[in-house]
Amino acid sequence: MAAVSMNTFILIATYALMQGLLDQAVQNATQLSTGEAQLHAPGYLEDRSIYKTLENPEAILQKLKDRSFGAVPRTYGYGLVSCRTKSAGAMFWGVDPDKERAVLRLAEHMGEGVYLSSKAHRGLVLGRKLARSLNAHVGSEIVVLVQAADGSLGNDLFTVSGILKAAGEGVDRSAAIMHIDDFRDLFVMRSGVHEIVVNTGGRVPLAALKESLIQAVPGAEVKTWRELLPTLSDMLQISDVSMSVFGAIFYLAAGLGVLNTMLMATYERIHEFGLLKALGTSPWRIVRDVTMEAWLLAFLSTVVGVVAGVAVSWVLQDVGLDTTGFAGEYTVSGIAFDPVWRASLTFRAVLEPVLVIWVVCILAALYPASISARLDPVKSLYHV
Amino acid sequence: MTWFSSKYGRNSGSPFSRGILAIVSSLAVLCFFCFPATPASAVTAREILDRMDDLYRGESSHGEMTMVVVTAHWKRTLSLEFWSKGKEKSLIKILAPIKEKDTATLRSGNEIWNYLPKVKRVIKLPSSMMSASWMGSHFTNDDLVKESRFVEDYDFEVTFEGRRAGKDIVEVTCIPKPDAPVVWGKVVVVVRLQDYLPLESAYFDEELHLARTMTFSDVRTFSGRTLPARMVVVPADKPGERTEVTYREIAFDLDLSDEIFSIRNLQK
Repeated sequence: MAAVSMNTFILIATYALMQGLLDQAVQNATQLSTGEAQLHAPGYLEDRSIYKTLENPEAILQKLKDRSFGAVPRTYGYGLVSCRTKSAGAMFWGVDPDKERAVLRLAEHMGEGVYLSSKAHRGLVLGRKLARSLNAHVGSEIVVLVQAADGSLGNDLFTVSGILKAAGEGVDRSAAIMHIDDFRDLFVMRSGVHEIVVNTGGRVPLAALKESLIQAVPGAEVKTWRELLPTLSDMLQISDVSMSVFGAIFYLAAGLGVLNTMLMATYERIHEFGLLKALGTSPWRIVRDVTMEAWLLAFLSTVVGVVAGVAVSWVLQDVGLDTTGFAGEYTVSGIAFDPVWRASLTFRAVLEPVLVIWVVCILAALYPASISARLDPVKSLYHV
Repeated sequence: MTWFSSKYGRNSGSPFSRGILAIVSSLAVLCFFCFPATPASAVTAREILDRMDDLYRGESSHGEMTMVVVTAHWKRTLSLEFWSKGKEKSLIKILAPIKEKDTATLRSGNEIWNYLPKVKRVIKLPSSMMSASWMGSHFTNDDLVKESRFVEDYDFEVTFEGRRAGKDIVEVTCIPKPDAPVVWGKVVVVVRLQDYLPLESAYFDEELHLARTMTFSDVRTFSGRTLPARMVVVPADKPGERTEVTYREIAFDLDLSDEIFSIRNLQK
């Protein structure tokens, strides 16, 4: 029954690794910058016009605070960044660094240097690909040129205070993050914000969160991360399906293994079953014994498999697989993954393979069991 | 007009860019065209388009203009001084408003440099920003750089000749040649019969929807050359917005030194 042990082990370890990967994808996608849900002025996401703002952000933030949702206000604007002879287009973010730090994790996600300080100081945090294309480092002087909200040309000098780690394609390529007060000066934008990011750290289910936000802030457009990041949402669904297919193959293999073993085991004992029948044992009793035997085998095998699977997953959860050697920091469909791939062992990842393997083993034993149960006692006793 | 024929992104929201430079760059025509009042039949569509392309061009030019940009959210008026030399070099400097005084755009070949006096830095415009608005106008940076001539990039024919809206006009319709590097699907140029000065050009996108119209008015004579001093660009998708350029002064074929078009000069 080594095969069943092996199957259990592989399934547990694989489920844990996949779960780890997906958890990380969702974490990175939502906890770094997207949050669990976002509020915008209606239509803002379509053209990202600087004029489509949520007015009176303080009142909205207070309402969200009353519901104890974490919330951060942001402003966005396009423009040009230039470092010595290199220049590139950028998406400027105006952020409140203290709120960002309290609610999201982008501020801890620094590859170089530090995040913005609490006070506006003409500091800039750049996405890593943007920094690379500008050849900018911590301390580099950056010239910023934008079209301000009043039509004038906003320009100023900023200093790079930090460069982010991989945080998703959009952020990596174009984010230039500054203090919201610096943003207001640069873009001549006195009031309003373009976005409020809401994060509850997973406390509130998405549907309930959306409902609650729609009630709290009438007139704003509410989107959850599943709507904001459809690629990730789809990816999760696809991986669910592919894991089911993967599991089905392993269960089938386990079932065939058990079927084979039990057929052999019953075939070898035709005499004994014949004798039992001759003594008046009911067919149902034989079916029960054979399937019980199969389950016992499955039980012992899965115990071994669970021990091995949990042990390995534990190690993978703790230490992780270091993929730096062949992948480095990478992003898939615009979502960042850490170079160390950690498993995430859940109760379900253990329970599901074990229960399904038990059921499969019992089902697989039914065929040999029914053959045994239907044996003709006389013929069996003469069976060579 | 060469500077109009370049790309103007329907959504770029920008106005005016090419005009100015165009102006700048194209201003220097070799010689002043005195347009004789020949009958239309005597002038072919080719000549009409060539004259239009050369109207604001010269070996060099120098002048001043006013640019008014009106968008849904703001209206601003800029006073600009410009220089151009050949096809490749042009420089535009903001004279007013004070907040932006001395901000300059230098075009050299396909490159655009901006000088920002507030931070005393010169920055080069990345190619990804070519379709963005120039100085908030309804022209794009690309409008400033592209050089194309109607007769080279388009197939054309006279599609109307006669009286329309009280004026004797000639209408020439231009369809881009299959491999021409232009973004328009069609350009319709209307000139007045009496001297072939442009009245209007309409730019259609590849689906042949109107993308923007330019109208020309206020014909004046500047140092011997007669041309419409005022151009208005209206993007078709935002009819309430427009960019108006009015030449206050313009002189052609001056002896301008290359030094004017250097990055060093930008910073002075």
